[in-house]
Amino acid sequence: MSRNQNNEKYPGYSKDVIDILEKFGVKIWSIIEIKTRTTEYKGILLPRSKFSEPGFIEIKLDNGYNIGVQLSKDIEIKILGKREGKYNVPEKSFPINKKLPNIKLFGTGGTVACRLDYTTGAVIPAFTPGELFSAVPELADICNLDTEIVFEILSENMKPSSWQKLAEKVEKEANSGIDGIIIGHGTDTMSFTSAALSFMLKDLSIPVVLVGSQRSSDRPSSDSALNLINAVTVAAKSDLAEVVVCMLGSSSHKYGLIHRGTLVRKMHTSYRHTFRTIGNIPLGKVENGKITMFQTDYHKRKKSETKTLLKFEEKIGLVYSYPGMTNDIINFYIDKEYRGIVLAGTGLGHTSTYIFDSIKRAIEEGIIILMVTQCLNGFVGMDVYSTGRNLTQLGVIPGKNLLPEVAYVKLGWVLGQTQNPDEIKSLLLKNIAGEFLEREIPIAFNYNADEL
Amino acid sequence: MTEYNYKELGLKCGIEIHQQLNSTTKLFCRCPSKLQGSRSPDFTTLRYMRPVLGEMGEYDEAMLTEYSKGMTIIYEGYNDLICTYELDETPPFECNPEAIDIALMIASLLKMTVINELHISRKNYLDGSVPCGFQRTTVVATDGEITLASGKTIGLEFVCLEEDAARKIKTENKNQYFRLDRLGIPLVEITTKPDIYTPQEARDCAERIGLLLWGTGKVKTILGSIRQDLNISIENGSRIEIKGVQKLDWFTPLINNEISRQIKLIEITNKLKEKGIKQEYIKEDIVDLSKELRDTKCSFVNKGIKSGKKLFGINLPGFNGIFGLELQPNRRFGTEVANKVQEISGLKGLIHSDEDLKEYGFSEKEIDLIKNKLNTKDSDCFVLVLGIEKTVKKAMDVIIKRTKLAFKGVPGETRRALEDGNTEFLRELHGGARLYPDTDSKAIIITEDKIKRIQQNLPKYPWDLMKKYSEQFKIKEQSIKDLIFEGKLKLFEELINIYKENPTLIITTLLETTKALRRDGINVSNLTNTHFSDLFTSLKKNEISKEAIEDILIKLSNYPNTNFKEVKEQLKIIKLSEVDLIKLIQKIVNKEVELIRKSEMRSFSPLMGEVMKEVKGKIDGKIVAEKLKKAITNKLEELKK
Repeated sequence: MSRNQNNEKYPGYSKDVIDILEKFGVKIWSIIEIKTRTTEYKGILLPRSKFSEPGFIEIKLDNGYNIGVQLSKDIEIKILGKREGKYNVPEKSFPINKKLPNIKLFGTGGTVACRLDYTTGAVIPAFTPGELFSAVPELADICNLDTEIVFEILSENMKPSSWQKLAEKVEKEANSGIDGIIIGHGTDTMSFTSAALSFMLKDLSIPVVLVGSQRSSDRPSSDSALNLINAVTVAAKSDLAEVVVCMLGSSSHKYGLIHRGTLVRKMHTSYRHTFRTIGNIPLGKVENGKITMFQTDYHKRKKSETKTLLKFEEKIGLVYSYPGMTNDIINFYIDKEYRGIVLAGTGLGHTSTYIFDSIKRAIEEGIIILMVTQCLNGFVGMDVYSTGRNLTQLGVIPGKNLLPEVAYVKLGWVLGQTQNPDEIKSLLLKNIAGEFLEREIPIAFNYNADEL
Repeated sequence: MTEYNYKELGLKCGIEIHQQLNSTTKLFCRCPSKLQGSRSPDFTTLRYMRPVLGEMGEYDEAMLTEYSKGMTIIYEGYNDLICTYELDETPPFECNPEAIDIALMIASLLKMTVINELHISRKNYLDGSVPCGFQRTTVVATDGEITLASGKTIGLEFVCLEEDAARKIKTENKNQYFRLDRLGIPLVEITTKPDIYTPQEARDCAERIGLLLWGTGKVKTILGSIRQDLNISIENGSRIEIKGVQKLDWFTPLINNEISRQIKLIEITNKLKEKGIKQEYIKEDIVDLSKELRDTKCSFVNKGIKSGKKLFGINLPGFNGIFGLELQPNRRFGTEVANKVQEISGLKGLIHSDEDLKEYGFSEKEIDLIKNKLNTKDSDCFVLVLGIEKTVKKAMDVIIKRTKLAFKGVPGETRRALEDGNTEFLRELHGGARLYPDTDSKAIIITEDKIKRIQQNLPKYPWDLMKKYSEQFKIKEQSIKDLIFEGKLKLFEELINIYKENPTLIITTLLETTKALRRDGINVSNLTNTHFSDLFTSLKKNEISKEAIEDILIKLSNYPNTNFKEVKEQLKIIKLSEVDLIKLIQKIVNKEVELIRKSEMRSFSPLMGEVMKEVKGKIDGKIVAEKLKKAITNKLEELKK
């Protein structure tokens, strides 16, 4: 059977099916009646997913159900009409109240609010202030909202240049007097971006809040509206001047947690409360419009000029250590002229001794190797076992409590700031954006957010 | 009850039958498909639902109505039975192949055409009954038919395979509690064409389809595992969906009362037209009467206003007499409006001028004052609502909207079936617009081979089985039907293989004995198929007599975990040999010789009682009677000598 074509007129349809459809003059969105050997169907011909099975057509029946019908040569199709789905998000103008703070929302491609194209099932994002107001009218009670789409990409397709662009946008807005910034972001790489912005923005004067949703906003149970309301509340009302992530703190639609941008991680593929602060408890929470801080040690809003330190070295790698790993892996990075590697080591910060050769070679060739732990929680302790001592002797830098992703971002950023080996080491070990913990409080490992 | 000329009225009904399937696990996750009754939950999760924008960028009216209720939803779950899927925290797993096979089998029995490629759709529900806000559902087959016992054939539109919703436990203030054990149990929804023209046909059709489903042995056969909805319209009326027809006997009163309601609503429209009243006359002018009626003699209004509630009124021009018009037995147009107000705003009760206002305690003067403030003329009607201002305004909005609909006859809506045969407003009709493709799952291809395999292994139709068993075992067809509706046909088939001697005894045991025990408060739901097969195996081996059945079932119901041998021993129902019986009888006869001498054969009855006390369940009563009679006769002869 012929595979599905990239045919613009018949998206997702296979060659043999397109031939039959063309024979009857049927187009996508045609209302058709099909007679098969056994029965008849009436419905609208729909575009099809390119991953679907060849040999079928897909129609929407009158009752709203979609079905796939296998086409055979003896099929008969009659055209009854045409009905194309064309949809707009309703737009109301976002009310302005001079007494409320001004908030800017940057879009990066995630959908905080959206509506559905029922015919195709595609999600049409709501994004302009008017669209958002129509979807989440509660926002107008908290702030005056302005929005800007910075880019429209899936979060897994973000690059360091995306972080740089966002940092520049934040700098500009912060210095022109906005009261707070929200960044709508896909949850997959949200903690990379939050870490990158934390390092790139210097003397930040206002809160920068990253927010997303774990249940898309096309479903009634979505967390997106609540997350958006909570994030706007933090951006508008909190006295923070840091990059934070604000997402639901429990499976219940009760409260959002405020996580420091350099200590946060997505910890579950699908839970609403997937984000957790690692190594500490969250900075605070927001519930029904009220912000409660759990910590006092954070940067406060101030009248400073926000600056950026954007340079980023992209030739860095993040390598997960595992039993049976060979020198080939590290040699690859050396041969490809990488400048730094974050090793997510086992336990207290270990790799097998069998790859010492390549590690030694890498360091000799000037490559920075930063060790963190794949346990995520706890500090690396490279003086405890001989493997750790050997690695530090080789020149591996212990990365304390850094999360692997944060270490990756930090290493790229540090290498962007300086070429001097001593400065690199000292910058790497300096607490720049709250990424290092002075001490780990006992409750940090398994806190129950409901009880904080 | 009024009988109607259904043909003249143009009555058209369709029914939807929802039946839970008896698969081991749920439809989209591998949690066990088991209800937990009243067992208390391990955890709760709180959620809010928001409407999603529908087709053409507008909100679905039914969804907005749900949202405007401002409900908090609380889900109750069990750690051993509920996974993150039911909590809407994990995408769906593979659609249960066992459930698909059962659905295909049912579709084939209903002579339907199976869909080649199944697409999972989402059907939005904002009432909280599904945590993700939509039910996953797929149409499996179309275009079939079922022939009723009367010979009439009813067309069938669809068979859908879908997830059951969560169980509603209670509503407390604005909190709705749902339990998640039922959520995700696979069910089929069978939709008939509107080919049903009388209430009797509706009942027959529902029963016929039910019989077919329960006869397969592949569906759940417990109370609540089958649910019926009814679609009704008459000429010039509208399609009304009635949800939750729990019993077959409800069909006729529900349909007749709905006809009455639609006729009366059409009458109201005509009356308004005759009087020259127009929809535009209804203004949104609501008047706060709290100050004027602060000191009213109507005590609940008086108390209400003093506690901070507000009394609002509205005048409805030309509506005199209409709110008091009876639509269904004991339900007036006023009830219809009040019911919708309560469903949407949560506010209970309204006062209208077609009622005897003096019964509320209002004085003549107060009534005049209200009329004056609202500018109510004799041909008008006024409506009063008491409550918190925000709720009252919402209620007034519902009153205005519903009153305006009176000009259009019967508003299409979804109504809830009530036990007395009436219905009440449940929600607006959902349109096809709330269905959209499930982006979390792939289409499922149903191959020709699979369809062929299922069609070659179809179970027999229950009506054919009824006939066959009735002839084979000399029992009534109705008994087989009863077995099917008790969910005990399979068990019967198993037992008849063990104990061919007495089919009637098996039926009596399965249907009557258990029913009688249940009535006596015995927990017969503890009885398993194994209990019954042990019982009849024992009968077959002559280890027990049929008199012991009841006692054994009671014991097993109370101690379901004791094994059958123990039960027999505990009840001391080791079968008595005839020799031992004769010995026992002889002993008693010798003891009661005076009685025999005096009463002669009339002593049989008391002596039988005495013997049975000793041997009950250990030997057939008939044998006891025979031996006892013989023993008494012998004794009498002996005495005469």
